Amino acid sequence: MSAILFDRIDEPGLADISVYEKRGGYEALRNALKQPREGLVEELKSSGLRGRGGAGFPLGMKASFIPGGDMDKYLVCNADESEPGTFKDRELMQKNPHQLIEGMIIAAYIVGANRSFIYIRGEYELPADVLDEAIAQAKAAGFLGENILGSDFSIDLVLHRGAGAYICGEETGLLDSLEGKRGNPRLKPPFPANQGLFQGPTLINNVETLSTIPAIIKMGGAEYAKLGVENSAGTKLVSVSGNVQRPGNYEIELGMKSRDIIYGLAGGPEPGREVKFWFPGGSSSPVLTAADLDLPYDFDSLAKAQSMLGSGAIIVVDDSNSVVDVAVKLASFYKHESCGKCTPCREGTSWTVKMLQRIQAGEATPMDLDIIASVQEQIIGNCLCVLGDAMAMPVSSMVNKFRGEFEEHIEKAREAAGLGLTPPVTPDEPVLTLN
Amino acid sequence: MPRPEENIITLTVDGRDIQAVDGAMLVDAAAGGDIEIPVFCYEPKLGGPVGACRMCLVEIEGIPKLQTACSTPVKDGMVVHTQTDRVKEAQNSVVEFILLNHPLDCPVCDKGGECPLQDVSFGYGRGVSRFTEPKRHFVKPLALSPLIAIDRERCILCYRCVRFSQEISEDHQLVLLERGAATFVSTFDGHPYVAPFSGNIIELCPVGALTSRAYRFRARPWDIEGSGTVCNLCPAQCNVTLTVRDDRVLRVLARDNEGVDDGWLCDKGRFAYQATHSDERITQPLVRDGDRLRPATWERAIQVASGVARHDGAVGAIVGGETTNEEALLLGNYLRNTLGSNDIDSRDGGALSAGLLRALADPKIQATVPDLEYAHTVLLLDVDPVDDAPVLDLRIRKGARRNDMQVLVASSRPTALDPRAAQAVRHAPGSAASMVLALDAALNGDGAAGTHAANAGADGAEVRALVEALEQSGEDIVIVVGERVTDGPAGEAAGQALLRIAAKLGLGERDGAGILEIPRGTNGRGLREVGAVPTAGPGLADLATAGRSSTEIATAAAAGDITALWLVHTDPVRDSQNKDLWIKAIAKAGLVIAHASTLSPELAEHANVVFPAESGAEREGTITHPDGRVQRLRKAIGAPEQVKPAGAVIARIAEIGSSVDLGASVGPAATEAVARAVPFYEHLTAEEIGGRGIRWQEREAAANLQPGSSTGETVAPQPAASPNGALRLGTFRSIWASPEVEISPALKFLSRTPSAELSPEDAQRLGVTNGNSVEVAGVSATARIRSDVPTGNVFIESGVAGGASLPADGELVEVKPR
Amino acid sequence: MTEVTRFTHGSRIPGWDDAADLRKAPAGVPDPAQVHVPEELRAEIEAKMAAYPEEQSALIPALHAAQKVHGWCSPEAIEQVACVMRITPGQAAAVATFYDMFETKPVGRQTIYVCTNISCSLRGGDQILTAMKEAAGDDPDFNIRGFECLGACDMAPMASVNGDFVGPLEDSDCRTIVDNIKAGNEALAAKSLKVRPCADEAGKAAGGSE
Repeated sequence: MSAILFDRIDEPGLADISVYEKRGGYEALRNALKQPREGLVEELKSSGLRGRGGAGFPLGMKASFIPGGDMDKYLVCNADESEPGTFKDRELMQKNPHQLIEGMIIAAYIVGANRSFIYIRGEYELPADVLDEAIAQAKAAGFLGENILGSDFSIDLVLHRGAGAYICGEETGLLDSLEGKRGNPRLKPPFPANQGLFQGPTLINNVETLSTIPAIIKMGGAEYAKLGVENSAGTKLVSVSGNVQRPGNYEIELGMKSRDIIYGLAGGPEPGREVKFWFPGGSSSPVLTAADLDLPYDFDSLAKAQSMLGSGAIIVVDDSNSVVDVAVKLASFYKHESCGKCTPCREGTSWTVKMLQRIQAGEATPMDLDIIASVQEQIIGNCLCVLGDAMAMPVSSMVNKFRGEFEEHIEKAREAAGLGLTPPVTPDEPVLTLN
Repeated sequence: MPRPEENIITLTVDGRDIQAVDGAMLVDAAAGGDIEIPVFCYEPKLGGPVGACRMCLVEIEGIPKLQTACSTPVKDGMVVHTQTDRVKEAQNSVVEFILLNHPLDCPVCDKGGECPLQDVSFGYGRGVSRFTEPKRHFVKPLALSPLIAIDRERCILCYRCVRFSQEISEDHQLVLLERGAATFVSTFDGHPYVAPFSGNIIELCPVGALTSRAYRFRARPWDIEGSGTVCNLCPAQCNVTLTVRDDRVLRVLARDNEGVDDGWLCDKGRFAYQATHSDERITQPLVRDGDRLRPATWERAIQVASGVARHDGAVGAIVGGETTNEEALLLGNYLRNTLGSNDIDSRDGGALSAGLLRALADPKIQATVPDLEYAHTVLLLDVDPVDDAPVLDLRIRKGARRNDMQVLVASSRPTALDPRAAQAVRHAPGSAASMVLALDAALNGDGAAGTHAANAGADGAEVRALVEALEQSGEDIVIVVGERVTDGPAGEAAGQALLRIAAKLGLGERDGAGILEIPRGTNGRGLREVGAVPTAGPGLADLATAGRSSTEIATAAAAGDITALWLVHTDPVRDSQNKDLWIKAIAKAGLVIAHASTLSPELAEHANVVFPAESGAEREGTITHPDGRVQRLRKAIGAPEQVKPAGAVIARIAEIGSSVDLGASVGPAATEAVARAVPFYEHLTAEEIGGRGIRWQEREAAANLQPGSSTGETVAPQPAASPNGALRLGTFRSIWASPEVEISPALKFLSRTPSAELSPEDAQRLGVTNGNSVEVAGVSATARIRSDVPTGNVFIESGVAGGASLPADGELVEVKPR
Repeated sequence: MTEVTRFTHGSRIPGWDDAADLRKAPAGVPDPAQVHVPEELRAEIEAKMAAYPEEQSALIPALHAAQKVHGWCSPEAIEQVACVMRITPGQAAAVATFYDMFETKPVGRQTIYVCTNISCSLRGGDQILTAMKEAAGDDPDFNIRGFECLGACDMAPMASVNGDFVGPLEDSDCRTIVDNIKAGNEALAAKSLKVRPCADEAGKAAGGSE
């Protein structure tokens, strides 16, 4: 397979428009502008490209939801990349910003949006600076602005830096944040395609998704669809991190065996260590164990294994780590990032953290594991957005798959804490900090 | 804007067929079929649903996940289950989550017994919690403002209060800070949440997190009774429920009336009930004894007051805005029929001809309060609703926010709605009449528009742009007119111009369009309609001889032509801009009768007899809303022993002094007398008015209003003075500038002190900085520098206790730093 | 703050125990005539406001700009932002306190975020945080915070030093970073994201099946 998104990614000066154009950049845009919008939507549909941000919604279908008409429409690029373990968009933006810009202009042309935004997480200062420069170059070259390349299409692109909030990766939280508000997710429906940014129809997609568009236009949707496997067309950037020897971003063809990614590309855990469990699609995906390493890495196979491909971030945890510690870390993160708007997420994440911390500190009983599992059930599906589920699903999977280890830890930690084996249910004094 | 059409559909909830309006939210539709779905955050008054609390999860066939009933619009054929195990499990979960950190201090919580959280926990909770961690505890309660206490432990983050601040009052002061479980309701940097409508958040709070500091620990729900009446503190006449315990009013709650207040109250209406039980209130008759007023028996007081009969032909009466239709009719009858005087007035700005009053009252051109929400455009003419009829400010914001209604403003002082306005045109203070003439001329293509605009001190181009916006705004236009517009000698001309504007814009031809005049006094409209004006009798009938207007009465009294002054529910020394004239008048008059709860020092010095007035909670009678809705004041508590209804007092004075029987003075019979006297109120009874009031224009008797046209003398307005170094004086009266605020302990902190608003340019030129003390026309005031005040003007607050006499609006004054 | 004479339980969330100061005036939209805003800050915020169809979108960029000027989102900074944007300071504060990058307490100007999320902590991120804090000691110029995933797990354990991503870090790097920053130099040039190649090719060459 030849790389598509990572094609000669480290070529010196690629972030500069001249280098990008020299290797054929912006040709797809010139081509697209000559074609009718309907045909381009068909190309996107036939490519089978599914959103790379986490939800995996087919791009072509999403684009076709944007209504026609004269109202103001918007294109938003979700570059918040806040899912722990995910760092692929960073590399794309930092090293090949024009690929994204070109993809965005084409997407905007397809849906008839005249204003577009890149919402980049505030912590990404280097990629943001690179993008700022690239946008200026694209403007100067006439790819952005009024009647670009002599067409009747005008497009404006603004880079918007966030300020540190995981929830802004959720598309409606992002929209509120982009409107200058607290990044609270909105009720859906209405979906952004109908009422998104500033109440206008809005196409919102991830960096990787939009960056793929020039390639699809160039090679044709049908050709692109030949890559990958059924229902999971194309290539995917996978961020591999945690206990592996070569953490980093890899472009793979969907359907590749997971073991080949973790061991082949990323080198697997340090010698002498084994994979204990792994998150296949960011920290919000239910964990899989060593037994699942032969799963093909694609949307359907992972879903069948009760997990998900998510953002394509594989976090490997080796056998030197305690599942309890990872669970506490993970739940604390979601508690910290819960926006606080809906009850099950706000209260459920806090409660889960308190219980897990008690387990860690040796103040719990095995009964608490049942309560934890039940609380996760109470969260899943009952929240306003998926952040609550994003904690509940992996925590639930960890407690289910490693119940023995949790119980063992509880006993040992109780002993270490001098609490013996008779469980006092209520500690008299608060011993845990809230924040 | 046409109101949305309603299409009735059928859905099935728990096996029961329910009819509902298509698109209504499932919670409401189910409630219509007597099926309760529990909610916390849902409150349709606050705008769209937010789906935050997740209490209302239900199962809808065909949708795999549970859905929030608060945000799901119903469709025909929808099948919903609210009682399944899955739904119950979700409800149990949400209650468990909400109660994790909610303290169970219900026995000492003000909300206990009337708490939605208690009810929902009881009805939909599991009854036990598996939460063994210690609950969070915080310092409580804390002051959020002098009126509101906040108990953050109890808060369940339903967002209602902050949504109110953001989407209803739009003051944006109350916000959520921090994130996630640490989120809390607060304000910027510890500033108090003080805003005209802040008290509504207490009523919105579904738990005991926001409580009234004035009501805390005063009663439990089983100690109290609710008593519905109407707030009589301003022309907005909001419907209220008084919480009564042991014959004392302890609290005021909104009594949602879509036609009046939409369920909101201003803080004055909510907290000024305390004036009823204030120590500073006059609660017994006072009679002058040498140089001071002393408590007297009723016999003595009536005897002194009945001396009015000896002032035959030289009696002047001023009727305050709180006076009921019944009281004003009695007084007018006595004055006109027995005492031979037409000198009765309820307006401060001069008289308008009876014909003009009738023309302006034409039912066809009357706008209603709900029109403010559904109109295409609302034009504010020299009126600032937040001060003049507060709750209407919220209604206009609602229209602008939800229905994209266009707001236009033409005023001298910047209004609170300016930030919402598509255009705000300024004119010189006191030049509203010229402004109206300019608008009329521009609309009717009259070449004089430019001259009128110049006379108004306004920018001609801006006036033309405003007129263009009016012409292009769609048919339903509502013009909200401040009483100031028809003040002064040019009032008649301004009134005629208003009628021409209404005709040109076709306001009479459409239901949702019209004029809404906001009088200064609560019952300004009713008082006019029962004849408490010098130019018209009951029913706006022509008079053989017109009487004198309030200023003329004061002038005549000061000159000795009028020798007896009868002041009903008004203190002109406080309420009138020309205080000096009134002080002279009451000093000179041989007999001054006052009905009052409080007195200015000057009136206390000169009144001969003072009858204690009933408070709003004690009074019975009818008042008429600016849009013609006749409403009932109902007695909620007994008055103090020595306080008697003003109507009864007037009747008794007539009986003792003149041996005449004025007929029924209180109760339903008095209301019937009003209905007999005013042809277009014909057959109106207390029963028909009921709890919601009724607009007289919507009754058959409305046809009894005789058509009218202006017969008064038309005086052209004076051109606005050019500042030339001096400044033009403008005045405004804040909603807080009233004696009720000053004597209600809770509201005392809002008592106004004289302030002078200056533009930054003028301030710089005069060497004045913000907060400096300045002298304006010999009156000292605190300078407030506002960048939206037009250069060349200074605005002084009127109606302030201890305020000094001021020249008329528009006159040039010297401003000096002190 | 006014004296609150109530029993205290000792809560741990800042702000939750604070009453309103009843001596203060309510915080409405600041009047430009009464608030001084540095000219450059005003110009920057106004430029941002012009970039969006609705001006309020500029709030986060405006707060970034004000934080740069004032060092943190102080009440003064928030008031200035609110004044230029014609919103209430409450609206600005609500947003400022929602996002992690806005400092709502006075802090040092040298900001170091050390990632302590899963991937970094699996490789010693928590230890780096401790080491970094030790290296900076009590120098008030440094603002060292444990931070959620910064999106650079390939460099784990890593830190963002004034926006410059560096990693993978060893304990000893922390001292170097602090010294470099004090000397006004780049944090750790050799381990900066700027010079890090993509893993793709190397991975494929080393053992990838493709």
